[in-house]
Amino acid sequence: MSFLEIDHVSFTYPRHDKPVLTDVDLHFDQGVITALVGPNGSGKTTLTRLMIGVLRPSCGEIRLERRPLVEYSLGEIGRRVGYVFQNPDLQLFCGSVAEEVGFGLANRGCKQETVMERVAFYLDYFELKDYADVFPLHLSQGEKQRLAIAAVLANDPLFLVLDEPTVGLDAYRKRLLEDYLKKISRSGRGMVLVSHDTAFVDRVAERVVILEKGRVIEDSGRKGKAADEA
Amino acid sequence: MKLDPRTKMVMVLCLSGLALLYNTPGRLLLLLAVTVAILLLFRFDLGAIGSYLKPFLSLMVFLFVIQCLFAPSGRVLLAVGPVPLATTGGLLTGAGVVLRIVVVTAAAMLLATFNARDFILGLVQWKVPYELAFMVFIALRFLPVFRDELVNVVTAVQLRGIDLKKVPWGQKIAMYRRLLFPVIYGAMLKAQRLAVSMEARGFRVYPRRTYLRRLNFRFVDYMVLVIFPLITIVLILLQLS
Repeated sequence: MSFLEIDHVSFTYPRHDKPVLTDVDLHFDQGVITALVGPNGSGKTTLTRLMIGVLRPSCGEIRLERRPLVEYSLGEIGRRVGYVFQNPDLQLFCGSVAEEVGFGLANRGCKQETVMERVAFYLDYFELKDYADVFPLHLSQGEKQRLAIAAVLANDPLFLVLDEPTVGLDAYRKRLLEDYLKKISRSGRGMVLVSHDTAFVDRVAERVVILEKGRVIEDSGRKGKAADEA
Repeated sequence: MKLDPRTKMVMVLCLSGLALLYNTPGRLLLLLAVTVAILLLFRFDLGAIGSYLKPFLSLMVFLFVIQCLFAPSGRVLLAVGPVPLATTGGLLTGAGVVLRIVVVTAAAMLLATFNARDFILGLVQWKVPYELAFMVFIALRFLPVFRDELVNVVTAVQLRGIDLKKVPWGQKIAMYRRLLFPVIYGAMLKAQRLAVSMEARGFRVYPRRTYLRRLNFRFVDYMVLVIFPLITIVLILLQLS
């Protein structure tokens, strides 16, 4: 059984006539990195927002661990699925970079030492240590992107949905992100990444789904080394 | 029905003025019915009012309860010992406060039935300096931005695995208090960026500004501009007498 199932989902925004997504039927498994690609306006971000319960399908159903997504609260979804927004400004809300990374853990009752340890690790990995006390919205675009990713990864989610994670990152930082995502995937966790960065997708994704005008026009299925091993 | 944006602005002022003046639920309900009828005349989607009011629902419930508790009058309906918790007068005052918010919000929706450019143009043709008109427009534009910002933060907090419904109230208030400053500061940063962007596009560089379009009153506008304020003045005088 797949971890996240999108079952014949269509979606139309309120007060709009034209559907953004039509009859999308996709299943996502743990341990697989899936890339969602397609031109601007093809419905990629809308699909990710449906996957995390921020939007609800006009018809069809989404299931997370076999349970309908509508039965989960956003908090429950957040504990299972980590979501990196397309625009990091929308998900940074704390007074400092360190607080941002530790927010989820601290508010879920983790021990202070554990929080500090995890925060230190992610600040170090994403090279944000020097900005620990800086107000997040004062960072550059690339730094904000790294912070948003670090803050989500620090929560240790079972599954990841990353909307344009490489925007604003230089080649070196893209490589760091790639290594980390592959490491997560090897640990058995799945992820969906939306990206226009074809080189990044080629290197990271084991499965590529192409969306166009709100419909899935191609699904490569699981490919490559990972598929052979499975 | 098509009306000049300035006519609609006058209608909003009249409806909001009456909403602030009226304090009985009966009259406010009547005013709400008139406002809704006007909105329907402009084919406005009434569902939008609900979505605008939704984030303020808890505030409205809070105000209703406060009014019930602290403005007791009339017959006592519920009491704990000598302390009246709900009185007929308190309930009416509470309902009045909530209805006032709904009427003002619904009336303000009339401003959404024309575009922002017409809003500025209307004010400028009323001899309001362009800078001031633009400032008013930006202030109005920032209200939904600020609302969206709050919604985004609440969503982002929950997506970090925090079940807000299960967090005890004391902890929740402390969390919101901590988040309030970054949200306000974030909105200020956005305003700052907007100012830079405006200046980069030549805002206030030249003393004179020209406009491609001019708004013109039609007969129906003159009619509304006479009848609406006249009725409002009569209603105000009746209320005050």
